[in-house]
Amino acid sequence: MSRSADAIAEAFEAAGHGAYVESFDRDERMIINMGPVHPATHGVLRLVLELDAETVVSCRPVIGYLHTGMEKECEDQNWRSAITIVTRMDYLAPFFNEHGYSIAVEELLGIEVPKRGQYIRVLISELNRISSHLVWFGTQGLDMGAISAMFYGFREREVILDFYEMVTGLRMNNNYVIPGGVWEDLPDGWRPVVENILGLLPGRIQEYEDLLSENPVFLERTKGIGTITADECGTLSTTGPIARAAGIDWDLRRDMPYGAYPDFEFDVPTATEGDVYARYTVRMEEMRQSVRILGQVVDGMPDGDYKNMDPKLTPPSRSELNRSMEAVIHHFKLVTQGYTVPAGEAYAAVESPRGELGVYAVSDGGTAPYRVHVRDPSFVNLQALPVMVRDGLVADLIASIASVDPVLGGVDR
Amino acid sequence: MTQWSGSDRGQTLSAGEWTDTARILQDEGWLLVDLCGLDRLGLSDEAVETRFEVVVQLIHHDKRERTTVHVGASGEPPTVPSVTELWAGADHMEREAFDLMGIHFEGHPNLTRILMPDEWEGHPLRKDYGVGKVPVEFIPQPLLQIDSAGQSPNAEGAHQAIDHLGQGSPDGGEIS
Repeated sequence: MSRSADAIAEAFEAAGHGAYVESFDRDERMIINMGPVHPATHGVLRLVLELDAETVVSCRPVIGYLHTGMEKECEDQNWRSAITIVTRMDYLAPFFNEHGYSIAVEELLGIEVPKRGQYIRVLISELNRISSHLVWFGTQGLDMGAISAMFYGFREREVILDFYEMVTGLRMNNNYVIPGGVWEDLPDGWRPVVENILGLLPGRIQEYEDLLSENPVFLERTKGIGTITADECGTLSTTGPIARAAGIDWDLRRDMPYGAYPDFEFDVPTATEGDVYARYTVRMEEMRQSVRILGQVVDGMPDGDYKNMDPKLTPPSRSELNRSMEAVIHHFKLVTQGYTVPAGEAYAAVESPRGELGVYAVSDGGTAPYRVHVRDPSFVNLQALPVMVRDGLVADLIASIASVDPVLGGVDR
Repeated sequence: MTQWSGSDRGQTLSAGEWTDTARILQDEGWLLVDLCGLDRLGLSDEAVETRFEVVVQLIHHDKRERTTVHVGASGEPPTVPSVTELWAGADHMEREAFDLMGIHFEGHPNLTRILMPDEWEGHPLRKDYGVGKVPVEFIPQPLLQIDSAGQSPNAEGAHQAIDHLGQGSPDGGEIS
C-alpha cells in the first residue's frame, strides 16, 4: 500500500476523532493524531504529526473544536453588552479582551477615561497577567513532570481570583472593564488585599524559580528545545513572550502605550535564545515586573470618577433616578436600547499575557456593533508551533506546546 | 506618547494593487499584525464599491507606527491575492477570512476551513447569514431500552413501557 503522507492526513481528517496510529511504507513515516482530547494540548487543540521514528517531521494544528461564533454573536448585542461575549474569548485573560474592546469603542466614541478608571484597569490587568502566567507556570511544570508547580501556581492564582471576585463578583468572565472606564469602583478595603498579594508574590515567584530554574530535569527538557528565531517570529506575526524570548524587544505597554501605562516604570524582559527555557525566564521576569507596576498603581491610585459619567453613556445612579425625570429617560434609553456609536472603524491593541490582543470594531452608527473582529494572540502564535517542533522529539513537542501557552477559547472564539 | 487614532481608515486598494503594495510594505519592514474580512452590505459608504473587503493591520517596530490597508475583494467568489509568501503568518488569518467570510485568497497553499467543520455550507460572518436563521436539527431518536447488562440497545424492542422520564415499569407493561 503506498499512499502519500497527504492522502493519509486527509483520511485522518475525514475520520474525525477516531484517528489512531497508521504506518505506511514510504520512509517508514507515520502520521499520528494528537488530541483534541489530550491533557498536554491545553484544551481542544488537535495536532496531526508526521513522525520519522520519534522525530517530528511536520506538525499541523487543527483547530475549531471550540468555535462558537463569538464575533457573530457580538453583532447581536449592543455595544455595552458585547463585553459579555468578548470576555469569554481568552478565558485566562478576560480583562485584556474587555480592555482591548473598550479602547476600540472609546476611539469610535471619542471619549476619555477618567484617571482613576485607567489606574483600575492597569491594576486589574497586571493582576490578570500574573494569574494567567501562573496557569502557564503550572501547566509548563506539570508537562515537564514537576507536578508541584501546578499546585503552587494554582495556589497563588486562587488568591488573585479571590480579589477579582471581591471587585467584580466573578472569578472569570468578569464583564468589568467597559467602554468609558470600569463598571464599579473598587470596593472598600481593596488596598490591604492587593498589598497582601504584592507582599506574597515576590517570595513565591522566587520559590518557583528555586524549584525549576536550576532543576537538571527541567533544564534538560527546556534548554535548546523548541527554538524559534526573531526573523521567524516577525514573519509569523508572533508576539508576546515568545517573540521577546527570541530577541524582539517589543512590548505595547512601553512602545505604544495605552491608558495609564506611561505613568509607570517597568522593564521589558527579553532573551535571545528563543527556546522553551528563554520563554520561561521571560515570563517569570514579567510576573516580577507586573508586581513592580502594581506597587506603583497602589501608591498612585487617584481619586475621582472611575468611569466616564456622560449621561448618554452611563446610566444614572439610583439617587438621581429618584429626583430627576431626565435621569429616568436616560436610564430607560440606555437599558432598553443602549448608546449609539458614530459610524467608523477602529483597531485597538493591548499587550495581553500572550501578545498583541487587537480588536477591530466597525460601527454603522447604530446601537450594535456592525463587526467585531478579535485578533487573538493564541490564534496567531499557534502558527509558530510547527516551526518550533520540526526535527525535534515528540516529548519536546509537549514542552513547546506548553511554552506557546495557547488558550483555545481565544484560538477558536 | 504614540497613540494610534482609530478613525484613520488607511489606504484603500483594489485586489490587483495589493500584491505589489504588500511587497513594498514588507521591504520597508512592516509586519503583518492582523487580517480579517469585512462584509459592507449594511454600510452606506459611497466611496467603496466592493461588498467585501479584506482589512489588514500592519505594524512597524522601528517607526513605532501602525497602518491599515483595505483591500477590495471583487468577483464571485470575492477574491484577493494571498500574502502568505510575504508574511507566513497570514496563513491562519486568510483561512479564517475564507472560512467565515467566504473570501478567496489566490495563491494560498492550503485554503481550507479552519474554524467551521469542513462540510459546513455558507460563511457565517456574512451579513446575509443571520444569527439563528439556520435551524439546528435534532434527529428524533427512538427510545432505547435494555433489559440486561451486555445487551445492546434495541430500537425494535423499545416499547411504550418507558415514560417521558426514561423510567420503565417493572413488568414491562403500559404506564398509565
